[in-house]
Amino acid sequence: MAPRMANSEPIHIIGGGLAGSEAAWQAARTGAKVIIHEMRPQRMTDAHLTEGLAELVCSNSFRSDDHEHNAVGLLHEEMRRCDSLIIAAADKHALPAGGALAVDRDAFSATVTRAIEQHPNIAVERSEVAGLPPLEWSNVIIATGPLTSPALAAGITDLTGEDALAFFDAIGSDYS
Amino acid sequence: MTQDEYNAFVDALLSAELHQFKDWEKVPYFDGCLPIEVMAERGRETLRFGPMKPVGLTNPRDPLVKAYAIVQLRQDNALGSLWNMVGFQTKMKYGVQAEIFRMIPGLQNAQFARLGGLHRNTFLNSPKVLGGDLRLKADPRLRFAGQVTGVEGYVESAAIGLMAGRMAAGDFHGKPLEAPPETTAMGALINHITGGHIEAEGYSGARSFQPMNVNFGLFPAIAIAKPEGIARWKSVDKTRAKRKAITTRALTDMMSWA
Repeated sequence: MAPRMANSEPIHIIGGGLAGSEAAWQAARTGAKVIIHEMRPQRMTDAHLTEGLAELVCSNSFRSDDHEHNAVGLLHEEMRRCDSLIIAAADKHALPAGGALAVDRDAFSATVTRAIEQHPNIAVERSEVAGLPPLEWSNVIIATGPLTSPALAAGITDLTGEDALAFFDAIGSDYS
Repeated sequence: MTQDEYNAFVDALLSAELHQFKDWEKVPYFDGCLPIEVMAERGRETLRFGPMKPVGLTNPRDPLVKAYAIVQLRQDNALGSLWNMVGFQTKMKYGVQAEIFRMIPGLQNAQFARLGGLHRNTFLNSPKVLGGDLRLKADPRLRFAGQVTGVEGYVESAAIGLMAGRMAAGDFHGKPLEAPPETTAMGALINHITGGHIEAEGYSGARSFQPMNVNFGLFPAIAIAKPEGIARWKSVDKTRAKRKAITTRALTDMMSWA
């Protein structure tokens, strides 16, 4: 690709889940300035219990860690080699789970939150971005997850003329 | 579980009161994440061939008698005080969930820390609306990452985040970044959501693009030679060799991008 003019406006990331946190980490480590917008705890969701970044709302497993014979295990290994914050935090808080990479979800989320909050190139803003991002934001990553708000979904539909298809995912049960 | 315990459990699932969907919520299930009561409805034996499959386990207290069905528990925190019931998605009402799950031998006195529930999943028709750099064709200042792009799973979501973050940083520095090679897991995944998926034809109304986990079907084919000195190459060994070849190629090709 041809070089373009640098766009030194900060990168705005909407959503501090797994994707938003990893995106912020990757951009910040190159020296780019990043602002993460996370609506929790100001506005909670039906699925989340905490205000931590990268909260795991379903299983605590990242599935197989066999990078030679399993596709998701390979994905883990590629991400490790890209200095992934998510995989590094998962490795740090891994639990015994046979060949799978399962994590202590609270310790995992705390490690990701600390790494993001302490990074000099990242600011965390705890407020909701309702609907489409403001026009003056020129470099935006939308990582709002499966619970993307109706206002944002409607905004995207206006832009693309596409219907966002909805379906359901069930959350497994935990007991102690 | 014994046969009697299993049958009583399935009967309880079949009579359980479910969360009622509102009209707008009536949408098909994603088959990888079926609630257990829906599986029970599909047939009395379905669970025994699914998440409750009694294979590879011996009861230390009664080693000669095989279980009729099992429930797998996965450790959920470092203390070992929280355990996850593997494959037990459910949309049963909260009150009956605890009652029914306590029918499982060993869980009579369990405290349930988090009950199963359902949430909406909204995702883009990414192959149509996103470019190969994850930007919305209709408004290129917006890039998308995570589950909303139509990938399934924590790791896949984070992987799309990783690529989106690096690409946004590329724009920040005036050095646009291309996606990783399609022979890598990350490249195969982004290629699938932004272009690789083929829209089903003659299927009006519904969309054929569905969230997907990373899998070996997304990678370009690779040719492998049968090892010398083997008369018949067993298919299980061949599959294993093919996977090893794909992952070796991926990690080599990843070096230029990582």
